[in-house]
Amino acid sequence: MIKKLPKKTVVMVGGGLTAGLAARQLTSKGIEVLVLERGGDHTNGAEAKLPTQRDELRWDTHQGLVQDWGVQTYSLRYSRDETALPVRWMEAFLPGEGLGGAANHWNGHTWRWSEYDMQLRTRNEARYGKTAIPKEMPLQDWGTTYAEMRPYHELFEKLFGLSGKAGNINGKIQPGGNPFEAPRDGEYPQKPLEYTEAGLTFKAAAESLGYKPFPTPAANSSGAYTNPDGQKLGQCQYCGHCERFICEAKAKASPQLLLYPMLKARKGFEIRLRAHVLGLLYDKAGKKVTGVHYVDLLSGQEYEQPADVVMLGAFTMTNTRLLLTSRIGRPYDPARNTGVVGKNFCYQLGGGVNVFMKDKWFNPFLATGSTQVYMDEFNNDNFDHSGLGFLGGAGINASMFHGRPISSRRVPPGTPRWGSAWKKANADWYAHSMVIGMQGSCYPHRENYLDLDPTYTDAFGQPLIRMNFNWRDNELKISRFIAAKQNEIAKAFNADIVTPASTLPTTFDTRNYQSTHITGGTIMGADPATSVVSPHLQHWDAHNLFIVGASVFAHNSGYNPTGPLAALALRVGDDIASYVERPRML
Amino acid sequence: MNDDLAQPQPARRGFLKQIVSATAALPLVGRAAAVAAESVSAAPAVPASASAAGLGYTNFSADEAAFVETMVDIMCPADEYTPGGVDCGLAIYIDRQLAGEFGKGARRYMRGPWQAGKPQQGYQLPLTPEQFFKAGIEAANAACAAKYGKPFDQISAADANRFLSDLAAGKVGDASLPLDTWFNEWVYPLFAQACFADPIYGGNTGKVFWKLIGYPGLPSTHTIDIVQYRGKPFPGAKDPKSIADFS
Repeated sequence: MIKKLPKKTVVMVGGGLTAGLAARQLTSKGIEVLVLERGGDHTNGAEAKLPTQRDELRWDTHQGLVQDWGVQTYSLRYSRDETALPVRWMEAFLPGEGLGGAANHWNGHTWRWSEYDMQLRTRNEARYGKTAIPKEMPLQDWGTTYAEMRPYHELFEKLFGLSGKAGNINGKIQPGGNPFEAPRDGEYPQKPLEYTEAGLTFKAAAESLGYKPFPTPAANSSGAYTNPDGQKLGQCQYCGHCERFICEAKAKASPQLLLYPMLKARKGFEIRLRAHVLGLLYDKAGKKVTGVHYVDLLSGQEYEQPADVVMLGAFTMTNTRLLLTSRIGRPYDPARNTGVVGKNFCYQLGGGVNVFMKDKWFNPFLATGSTQVYMDEFNNDNFDHSGLGFLGGAGINASMFHGRPISSRRVPPGTPRWGSAWKKANADWYAHSMVIGMQGSCYPHRENYLDLDPTYTDAFGQPLIRMNFNWRDNELKISRFIAAKQNEIAKAFNADIVTPASTLPTTFDTRNYQSTHITGGTIMGADPATSVVSPHLQHWDAHNLFIVGASVFAHNSGYNPTGPLAALALRVGDDIASYVERPRML
Repeated sequence: MNDDLAQPQPARRGFLKQIVSATAALPLVGRAAAVAAESVSAAPAVPASASAAGLGYTNFSADEAAFVETMVDIMCPADEYTPGGVDCGLAIYIDRQLAGEFGKGARRYMRGPWQAGKPQQGYQLPLTPEQFFKAGIEAANAACAAKYGKPFDQISAADANRFLSDLAAGKVGDASLPLDTWFNEWVYPLFAQACFADPIYGGNTGKVFWKLIGYPGLPSTHTIDIVQYRGKPFPGAKDPKSIADFS
């Protein structure tokens, strides 16, 4: 029997970064917030304490902090005429579980995207003409602008104590920073992280070719820091255990460190852990949701939690799934090109060049998550695409962020895979090699979308999300273009050995980690015919339902998603407060 | 390459059975010393660690242990870099992994229906990793016997090395089981983990592989080091510390 509980003002699904930020805004105005989180609290676990925190096998190889694939995974097919298969162990991307969500095990790279990103369709049409965007690429403006989001970026960067070097202060380009950066009010809250030897080597090579490399903005704290809420970060220890790990030194800005302890002390805030949400209760005629249906994993009891407002703040896939299983909004149909839920599912490109220099001590273990030097000349629309046959691009980087020995050994091409020569190559090159990497845009494609799998279910008996996805012509062209640039830069290293740049495989591969930055499915926009939520992240078909996360991104760029996602989360907190005061379509 | 690979190795199965029957009495180092004396021309750079002493297999049958021991000693021969694979704990590591959560398929999606897909969709069989690993040993041994007339642990080291290369390259056909996938996606990662995971899991005995490459291990608090040793040899790389050193 489902038990009905007393009503709450705002109920949020998912106790990660977005819920923490939105709840910060709401509770500061005295509005009651309940967060439902499927996992537990990692704070005092083996994952957050020495020496067990440093266990590569447990947290990295065996994905100890990642969603349990035995409970819930995703199916995948490459085209509509195939039967999807469940991904039984996902390596490509890594959703989190537990208080703090994926922001526990993130690496800390924190970008403001390009000033034009939220108006990318308009930008490309203006620059390359109305026909430049292929028919099968539903590139869309987001219905909001960087100018509107800018104050929330400023706030988020102060809350998370970002370390970095400004490249553009109020339109004035700053030496040492990113000349393509969207304008900001001032310097970063903290000075940049230390450079790694790999970063310095890449910087020198890139500068010799006339590029302007810069340190990646980082949520790994370069110093001791107290944020505007009085919450503290310790100084980063450069231990090389950030991505896939929880920072035991409290030096990586994370919601379970900077947001939830503070929120728990606030009146009107409640979080229920091990509360797995099964669906939303939808009054279609009334165009509103009435609450949330969840199961308490400690008792097995199912509850109906009534709410004035519901906010979805779960991982990209779950936000989309809850709409589809709760039958809210029109599912996207690629054949007819109708509907919206599941549309514009995007991923991100990788690929790299290995560089071997016997006289250089790169010491990969002296690093932290965001000790990355980046260059933005070939990212996004920062360069002229006339005649190139593709849109978008990639940031090129030296991202030396750990030396964990199971996963981060590079050996020259032709090295045997075992035996004495293999050992010798590992001994020779572990400390003397690095990679020139990339992170590239993935623009929407009409056939890349999410829907419900007709066959496979999760441990709760609910359908899995089905990924209909593959790399398309645009991504393959970006990959080849960037690979050529990477090879040119690698030449400038004067290295002993260079492995030529790898290009994107034609088939998306779930077996290798690429990026956890999957986007879309519940995209935002100004037109209800082509978006799920409004520019204020309010569902077009349920006005008291708000959705926030990378699921609202209308495309994916060559940047990590945390910056815009966090800015949107802070703003949606303010928007929900306004809605609670006077319910209406904002 | 180690030149002892060209020389025939003694048949080890019979020897292993003696060991298995006398596990309690005879530490593994005893066997390691015997094998080293019989077959290895180059002296190991590091003496065999005593920490493997007294460890027996919790999961492998005698045949499975024979296969895996032979394999890890081929993939990690005793040489100037490390002791042989068995003495580095590599077989113990694989045994423990198959016996534990990993082997039982913990946190993997194991619901049907089951059907074949593209390799990029990942492993799609209803067998747990432990079951698949063992089915692979059976199939590989059968293929080995078909080619060489003997199971894997009884062929010469040179033939065993070639057989592993053929497995990796997809040149060992078996209608019942994709042996290249088995080797490349299951066996090889376990081998690499056995070498480089924290010694607490049974491999990388004496941190021998961390010393080999210069990974300093724990506690890795490098706020000062990143500046002081940027671009320079890091002293801690010579004397790595592991979880057990801080437990």
